Amino acid sequence: MDLLSFARGPALQWALVIFVLGSLWRLAGILLLRRKPDYTEPRSRATWRGALKLIVTRTWSRREFRASTAFGQSLGYVFHIGLVVVVFGFVPHILFIHSLTGLQWPGLPSSIVYVSGALTVAALVAALVRRLSNPVLRLLSNFDDYFSWLVTVTPVITGLLAVAHLGARYETLLAVHILSVCLLLAWLPFGKLMHVFLVFISRGTTGALFARKGAST
Amino acid sequence: MNTQRDPTVLESFQQQGLSRRAFLKFCAATASLLALPAARAAELAEKLAGMPRPTVIYLSFQECTGCLESLTRSFQPTLESLIFNTISLAYNDTLQAAAGEAAEAAREDAMRKAWGKYVLIVDGAIPRPEDGAYCVIGGRSALDLLRHAAEGAAAVVAVGTCAAFGGIPYAAPNPTGAASVQDLVGDRPVINISGCPPIPEVITGTIVYFLGFGVPELDAQRRPTMFYGTTIHDRCYRRPFYDKGLFARSFDDEGARNGWCLYELGCKGPVTYNSCATMKWNDGTSFPIQSGHGCLGCSEPNFWDGGGFYRPLSSGLWHGGIGEGLGVAAVAGVAIGGAAAVAARQRQKRTTEAGKKPPEAP
Amino acid sequence: MSEAALPPLETQGPRFGIKKPEQRQDIQGDLSDAARVDTAMREFVRDFGAVAATYMESCVHCGMCAEACPFYVETGDPKYTPIWKIEPFKQAYKREVSPFAFFMRAFNLKRKVTLEELEQWQELIYDSCTMCGRCTLICPMGIDIASLVGLARHGMHKAGLVPHELWAAAERAEREGSPLGATPKVFKERVEWMGDESDVAMHMDLEQADVLVTMSSIEIQKYPQALAAVAKVLNHMGLSWTFRSDGYEATNFGLLSGNADWQKDMSLKLINAAIACKAKVLLLPECGHAYSAMRWAGANVYGKPLPFKVRHISEFLGEHVADGSIRVKKDLDTTVTFHDPCQVARRGGVFDAPRVVLAALGAEVRELQDNRGMSWCCGGGGGVISIHRADAIRYKAFQIKMRQVDATGAAMLVTSCSNCRLSFDDSQAHFHWDKTAHSLLEAVADHLDEAPPKPAAAVPSPGSVTP
Repeated sequence: MDLLSFARGPALQWALVIFVLGSLWRLAGILLLRRKPDYTEPRSRATWRGALKLIVTRTWSRREFRASTAFGQSLGYVFHIGLVVVVFGFVPHILFIHSLTGLQWPGLPSSIVYVSGALTVAALVAALVRRLSNPVLRLLSNFDDYFSWLVTVTPVITGLLAVAHLGARYETLLAVHILSVCLLLAWLPFGKLMHVFLVFISRGTTGALFARKGAST
Repeated sequence: MNTQRDPTVLESFQQQGLSRRAFLKFCAATASLLALPAARAAELAEKLAGMPRPTVIYLSFQECTGCLESLTRSFQPTLESLIFNTISLAYNDTLQAAAGEAAEAAREDAMRKAWGKYVLIVDGAIPRPEDGAYCVIGGRSALDLLRHAAEGAAAVVAVGTCAAFGGIPYAAPNPTGAASVQDLVGDRPVINISGCPPIPEVITGTIVYFLGFGVPELDAQRRPTMFYGTTIHDRCYRRPFYDKGLFARSFDDEGARNGWCLYELGCKGPVTYNSCATMKWNDGTSFPIQSGHGCLGCSEPNFWDGGGFYRPLSSGLWHGGIGEGLGVAAVAGVAIGGAAAVAARQRQKRTTEAGKKPPEAP
Repeated sequence: MSEAALPPLETQGPRFGIKKPEQRQDIQGDLSDAARVDTAMREFVRDFGAVAATYMESCVHCGMCAEACPFYVETGDPKYTPIWKIEPFKQAYKREVSPFAFFMRAFNLKRKVTLEELEQWQELIYDSCTMCGRCTLICPMGIDIASLVGLARHGMHKAGLVPHELWAAAERAEREGSPLGATPKVFKERVEWMGDESDVAMHMDLEQADVLVTMSSIEIQKYPQALAAVAKVLNHMGLSWTFRSDGYEATNFGLLSGNADWQKDMSLKLINAAIACKAKVLLLPECGHAYSAMRWAGANVYGKPLPFKVRHISEFLGEHVADGSIRVKKDLDTTVTFHDPCQVARRGGVFDAPRVVLAALGAEVRELQDNRGMSWCCGGGGGVISIHRADAIRYKAFQIKMRQVDATGAAMLVTSCSNCRLSFDDSQAHFHWDKTAHSLLEAVADHLDEAPPKPAAAVPSPGSVTP
């Protein structure tokens, strides 16, 4: 079996299986832990609304925090939005998702995707530099932070190389790109990349609990 | 004793009533087809002028005869000029007039006379199981015929994807155990001219190149790089639409009618190495993409099992769907996670009990 | 563990402390090192429920929480990054209870926490965290980091790793009923004294009353005029109320030190007293963590909903100033800025009540640049003010407060937490600052309009008190 068929076939299949199994394992393992009932008198019972509200509002910093968080947060948004544009806006990617789910939507002009990809790589590199040089981040960071970074930037770089036909024969570049996506999928449930799901659960939990108390969000 | 020498290629041309000038034009045209510089055209002419027409044995196994059909459409060199003037085609099931034992004997005779020097052309795949019983011609298995013929060949040219890579007989589930020429021939130079079928001029051009200059530069799949060096995608005239992200969504939509890229309709151009986009078919008339259909990838190994002709290259390559597998994975994930949570809760209960025991004495 | 084992305490000075500061004993008990670690780990494991687990799984190491914490912002030391404060707790979770805990242990992907780490972390979990919750507000994943610090303290306490003064205060509170020596006997004496001094009718140990009034030892011992103030206001309202010597101490050093059992004991004293006198409202004093302990955790240590409402004095004042049952003179003719106690406002949900009161008093309110839920912590809460070795960073953190108060240009500073007040007083002395923190309750008591109410105004029934 050639590398491309392996990447598109068994590698991708197993990566998706690990992704689904691992993510649900982790989520079930967290959410099915003990929950203590709360007998205190609630200030409000609109906890679902509180949960949804915090999921939305925590997307940006409160005014008072903006000055100190602007740079880091903006950098984060550049690569998050960049990734969204690339992953969900590039027609070949949309076609992959279509082959998996049946869903499809119009794509963006490829040049916009390429620019977005380049900006994403630049922002990710800047974020790494920041993580290595900022004292707080250097203290906090561990293997997970660096490996997750690697596993995220590699698909973008290999994707750009593939569309540029740069560095090897195209089918090899494509295979490497797909294999790097397989690695991302397989790693996601086990590291900090799981925040793609946990962000809703964590924000929602606090939103619900704090709405109950009328506490600040 | 008969000492009559076989006529040279030039002499064959002249015997046909074609002038030396016509012969030189043939060499120039062929060299041009092969994208060779002018000097090499002269070299080709000199070589062919002085050599007798080389013996060529053409064996056909698990094939549809499409490759031979393609060969007969060659414009340069034409089939006629090839077989009458340039080569001595000692055996070909379809083209020869003779049949049966007489034909077989003629083949053996020609092989014997040119042992070690003839060119063996093969099309079709070769089944291996049961001593090759799934393809038997004149009482002999294809496996046996190939082995025997390859022994005395100067080179083996596998024409068509079936001979080069196994092709359609090799496609899943490969019920006959079909194998390619290169799977079976290890000790002779093998040149793969893949395609389903290959472009006519690619077949004839490669043969003439070999006669003039020997084995050409081959890629990792043993295909001549002069014809298989770039992908369809790299030379496709619709590439600007791919780059812009303009894709036909169905075969008769606005995009299709405007000649947009056929990626979404399953074109395998980006991973297919061939000359269709440059040389095209029918003497440069058109090629599949130009006619509005995506490239099938027919010159690549396993193109039949490449996920489907109408499924884009970026779609997953799973046979029979993936939904079930992911469903099982999902259930398993929740179950294992739930078990982990239960185990953790048990741990907590045990810990709480242990904590209630009186502390260690101070 | 008896009082005699620790160096003697200093309770008479402006601040609680130990008589011989150099003789700190920040490790309690005679457990072996291994036992200490095991005990800590066991307690950590007990606390990992679905909510705590969600939080500990969700951190993406973005580092933003540091920017919200006054201890980090004013020192620049990365170790004060809030999520870093619970690193051993998080590591224990991942190793013991997380969904992949089996693999974490089997392949030692997360090491066992060591005693050195726990000792190192003591100052991060106690000295440099008031559980003020600003970090919770900034976290893009919505992690309630402050609550995790509170949970981590459980393990630290059981393992005997609490800073000296905090441990001693908690032990004293459990044994005597008050961390500052305000035993029931002392309490009754001081109530009587304040009643005489201010000529206010005091009610102690009534069999039945609609409102059970609780106090903090800081008020009883340091600001006893608060006793008179609350009595004055409740008498003015005509409510049936009482102090109870079997349940009066609203501070909860069990909560602050991390002893869940003591936290429960301390809360149950108040709850049982309220039940005993069939109170409809348990009134909490000017104290921040008292509100957290009783309003948002009391029913849970009790195990079922409480048969009475729990209200902070500031929200009580706000509500009844608004409905007219507290009438004040509109003669506080000055510019005022209000410091929102973290546990009452940001963590507790009381924001408008103090403003309603200040407006009724006729004050011109000049809000701090960061006010209400965004207010910066005074640095003294959560037990930090009792830890003398934390003074240096507490003063550093306090500087934000000073800058912001000064920037308002207000003439008067008011707050509604006596621990904040203690912290302000101590820092005021340290920095020779010109602003004194005043009590909202005392401001109301000092400006009550004792003129007979207009006929239409109704005396409210306590059962109708609404948040």
